[in-house]
Amino acid sequence: MIRYILGRLLGIALVLLVVSIVIFLLMHAIPGGPFDEAKMPLPAAAKANILRKYGLDKPLYEQYARYMWAALHGDFGTPFQSPTESVTGLIARTWPVSFKLGMVTLAFALPLGMFAGVLAATRQNTWIDYTATFLSSLGLTIPNFVIAVWLMLLFAVHWKILPTGGWGHWYNYIMPAISLGLAPMALTARYTRTSLLEVKRADYVRTARAKGLSSNQVLWRHSMKNALIPLITILGPQIPNLITGTIFVESIFRIPGLGKFFVTSIFRRDYPMIMGTLLLVALVWSIVYLITDLLYMVVDPRVRLDKKSS
Amino acid sequence: MSATTIHPEETPTMRTNLRHRSLLSDALRRFSHNKLAMFGLTIVALLVFAAIFANLIAPFPYDEANVTEALQFPSGAHWMGTDEVGRDVYSRIIYGARISLLVGLSSQLIALMIGVPLGLAAGLMGGKVDWLVMRLVEVMTSLPALMIALLLIAIFGGGLVNVIVAIGLVAWLDACRLLRGQLLSLRERDFVLAARTIGVRNRRIAVRHLLPNAIAPLIVAITIGVPTAIFTEAGLSFLGLGVNDPVPSWGKMVGDALPYMRVYWYLGVFPTLAIALTMLGFTFMGDGLRDAFDTAGSK
Amino acid sequence: MHSSKLALSKRMLAVIAILLLAGLLQACAGAPAAEAPAAAETGGEAAGPVVNALGKELPADAAPLEQQVLVYPYAAGNTFTTIDIYEAVYQRADGLTDLLSDALVRVDKNFDLHPGAATEWSVDESGLAWTFKLDPNLMWNDGTPVTADDYVATLQYGADPEHAWDFTWYFNGVIKNWSQVVAGEMPLEDLGVRAEDANTLVVETETPAPYLPAMLIYSTPLQKKALGEYGPLYNSNPETSVSSGPYKLVEWSRDQRLVYEINPDYKGTNVPYIEKIISLGIGNDGYLPAYEANEIDFALGRYLSPADIQIILSDPELKAQYHPHPGDFRTYYFFFDDSKPPFDDLRVRQAFAYALDRQGLIDNVIKEQGIPAYSFLMPGFPASNSEAYKDIYPYNLDKARELLAEAGYPNGEGFPKLTLTLRNEPAMPEAVAQAYASTLKDELGIEVDVSNMEFKTYVDAMLADPTEIQFSLISYGMDFLDPSNMLGVFVSGGRHTWSNPEYDELVTKASSFVGDPAERIKMFQDAEKILVDDVGGVFVYHQTPGDLYKPYLVGEALTPDNNGVAAWHWPGFSGFSTLMQDVYISNEVTDYRPTPPQ
Repeated sequence: MIRYILGRLLGIALVLLVVSIVIFLLMHAIPGGPFDEAKMPLPAAAKANILRKYGLDKPLYEQYARYMWAALHGDFGTPFQSPTESVTGLIARTWPVSFKLGMVTLAFALPLGMFAGVLAATRQNTWIDYTATFLSSLGLTIPNFVIAVWLMLLFAVHWKILPTGGWGHWYNYIMPAISLGLAPMALTARYTRTSLLEVKRADYVRTARAKGLSSNQVLWRHSMKNALIPLITILGPQIPNLITGTIFVESIFRIPGLGKFFVTSIFRRDYPMIMGTLLLVALVWSIVYLITDLLYMVVDPRVRLDKKSS
Repeated sequence: MSATTIHPEETPTMRTNLRHRSLLSDALRRFSHNKLAMFGLTIVALLVFAAIFANLIAPFPYDEANVTEALQFPSGAHWMGTDEVGRDVYSRIIYGARISLLVGLSSQLIALMIGVPLGLAAGLMGGKVDWLVMRLVEVMTSLPALMIALLLIAIFGGGLVNVIVAIGLVAWLDACRLLRGQLLSLRERDFVLAARTIGVRNRRIAVRHLLPNAIAPLIVAITIGVPTAIFTEAGLSFLGLGVNDPVPSWGKMVGDALPYMRVYWYLGVFPTLAIALTMLGFTFMGDGLRDAFDTAGSK
Repeated sequence: MHSSKLALSKRMLAVIAILLLAGLLQACAGAPAAEAPAAAETGGEAAGPVVNALGKELPADAAPLEQQVLVYPYAAGNTFTTIDIYEAVYQRADGLTDLLSDALVRVDKNFDLHPGAATEWSVDESGLAWTFKLDPNLMWNDGTPVTADDYVATLQYGADPEHAWDFTWYFNGVIKNWSQVVAGEMPLEDLGVRAEDANTLVVETETPAPYLPAMLIYSTPLQKKALGEYGPLYNSNPETSVSSGPYKLVEWSRDQRLVYEINPDYKGTNVPYIEKIISLGIGNDGYLPAYEANEIDFALGRYLSPADIQIILSDPELKAQYHPHPGDFRTYYFFFDDSKPPFDDLRVRQAFAYALDRQGLIDNVIKEQGIPAYSFLMPGFPASNSEAYKDIYPYNLDKARELLAEAGYPNGEGFPKLTLTLRNEPAMPEAVAQAYASTLKDELGIEVDVSNMEFKTYVDAMLADPTEIQFSLISYGMDFLDPSNMLGVFVSGGRHTWSNPEYDELVTKASSFVGDPAERIKMFQDAEKILVDDVGGVFVYHQTPGDLYKPYLVGEALTPDNNGVAAWHWPGFSGFSTLMQDVYISNEVTDYRPTPPQ
């Protein structure tokens, strides 16, 4: 077990190394630089100055080597967008905000989604099932900021019971969490339903029924536990998405989170921030995958470690 | 915006001593008895129909703008209203089926072209090859697909072809992982062990026994991958990084509609519904296919 | 000219916020109690005139001092780096910036130039050396005087190759030795800017530049001392920030808001009424909702969507709060890469010009947000002569088809498929491009894709050599009020491939012309006619953005200007505008927000 985890951690380090190279090459391949003039051509000399100032005049491999050397010493550079702080400082300031919002979102979206899924599965092929299924597909399709804008219009403009945005009070979570939570909720509902139905037909459930257990008992004691496996698979990837924030919802509700930096960093060609944010995401994903795999083991002893990810 | 449809690992318990033909007819029978699956199939069929006969069904060309008729609410002449430059929304939605199917199917094809050989190699050869492929998969999964697609498009530019390629390049993971998992679990099964003990060689086992068994889950994965690809295209086009105007992409239609939504709600509602129904159709069909091929639940 | 946001420790911000909150609560609790007896004594009459910290008497209808708070939005989608123009023009917040010192000159609502930090200025006989006399009273709030050295240090910082300012092109060929210093070929000391004495600044130009004072609205200085002590970002932190302007920075909550308060040590002449400014980050779709919820006092027209405008115009109350104005005299136009076929053929460009139905676009797409453009300079801008160019290329599809056939593309046959690229434009200009593309296809048989590109990718492609943008819709808004600024955009070697020696000569000559102003204007107008005739661009519309602001924002600056426009004029509430002297919050404010915003 410990050997397995250590092996996986080593794998993660390797993945991060490869990711760093890939991202470094990709981001420098994007046309335009961090300080291109927007209105008029920049004199060649001024352009050269800018490149020199930020070390972008060096060959790529040298830039990469410098970056990695500094990163290994804990220095991830200075964001071009916010030169008075460091990349790590900026992430330390904004990530907890997004993280908290993501956790709150999950805390209501998961149970509700599972509830809806159970409801649909136990009433398979009734109108409840169809409605729940259709609504969850819709929930996956409507972009979260469309939901965000409508919530704002209803709660803040029409009913005037919430401010349009801001951060620091409990009520600031309400609208963003709903906007962010509908999609994972829908996803949870759909997968809970599918896997419950699958498990329901499995031999051991039928046996349990035959032994005279009530359908509720069967549902909770046997079905739910096995239905959790696909749920873990499907929700795993939702978690990094949620806890690293999203640009639209955060900017609409004035939440000082990390979300917008994923997009603004690319749009501004803020190389240190692109590296910083994407490495962070890669790390979070890797860890989530590791935890997912460990959870499989807990939930389903049949899963053998050596086979999951040799 | 990235609806990651990672499929639960299949646990096939097919008895391969059954003839494939009877397996297929069994599956078809089960599929046709599944109401939701048939509903999904109907939607997909309608979509295909709309895509093929768009020029016959749509009352107007998708790119015919008439600014004097801009932003008209749904009416007898324009069932779903007109957009900001006076194009018929209904016609654009019909033509949009073409784009969505094109994106969904061709990106899945690219995904298969990458994912199947890699999955086969990893599952059959094992050892170092498997290790290498799995590391590659890990690298790719540790970055959000939309982000990678975004970077690729930032580099190579937007447009329909680039969008399809970008989606295909990030969508092969499922097929690869799935195939490898199938092969690994099948390798340990009785019939393979039996074949091996009587001296059948690896390659023969793969072709005769393993692949046919892996195909069903692969089909399911594709069915579920199509709406994911459509959704990713919608997301990219929505961000303004996808297809160009006047190509009628549903995602772009939703994106373009946003600034108008508070008044001209229909601009966003109809393409959103089109995306939702398409996803629903493919998902139900995929679920149905999986149930049909999976004999574990057979009564 | 806008942009973006920076960061303090969150805990510290919380502390500041709590302190502020406590202070304000006290103020709120205290004020009515103090006023009540006074009112009683005078028998219901209001107490004597209210005077603010700078000794300025508030008008009779003004709200109490604690309500003199302006909440002004900036676009939260970006992160802004600075509030100082000399640090980075395009990385400033697009809310309120450049309030911490006085520019040499400032403009009023009629765009007339007024003394700012400079009480007077003059040019010598050569027309090359300008002398600005500085107001000797100006002080930084650390107790040191504002001197010519601060201005010299600031301009030198702008030209410093190490700094690599994003706006260096602005003074290229204007201030003496500017380009050489930027290129690192000359030391900073050789820049044509020097302090003759503490209160006398001399600026030398390469050629006579009658527009130099107008250009110097962008001269809000940094403090030389702070530059040396804390570096150029000293204004990013309230603790190191220093002000000689009407306001001082008291809070900068990264990604949330900026707060300025009136600077009690201000000694200049741009004395405001507004006590406190909260610059609040707002998401793009949040402007109208936040405005309707009375959380912001002002909503920039730039961020209002077509649906927002529709809502505003169909609601009498909101419509009364909507104020269209010429903005930065922005013109939208199509341009071509005419260094290559097919656009190297004048007849093709003319065909495209004839195919544009401006009135149809105004009536159905642009609506209140623009007026038809027949040339580059918007009516109201110096030297504008719009009407005279109206009939050069009127909407005439027959003529367009004819010219296209003459050029060898009858019915569009053989014409290459085009991509009409946009520079990350919002909905309305995109619709304009889509409509025009559709006309080109339906009427001329030319296939056109519209691609709204990401900003930097577009700029990179446009400025590539040779350019990768073949056909595009773009806009330009002025930087300062002189035709040389706008018309300079089309001078060869700029951002467009269109090149006309006659045009170049006229614009260059007129720019540095120091004789009769009427003659100078005539030269610019002749040049502009060439630009239209030779189809350097197909001009579509001049933008008339409308801002929303609450009826309790009042003042002389918001009353009709010489053109009858009553609006929040460019350059708005900043160190280079006189607007802040006039604008105050009337007592109507309590109908909207009973308590002052925190």
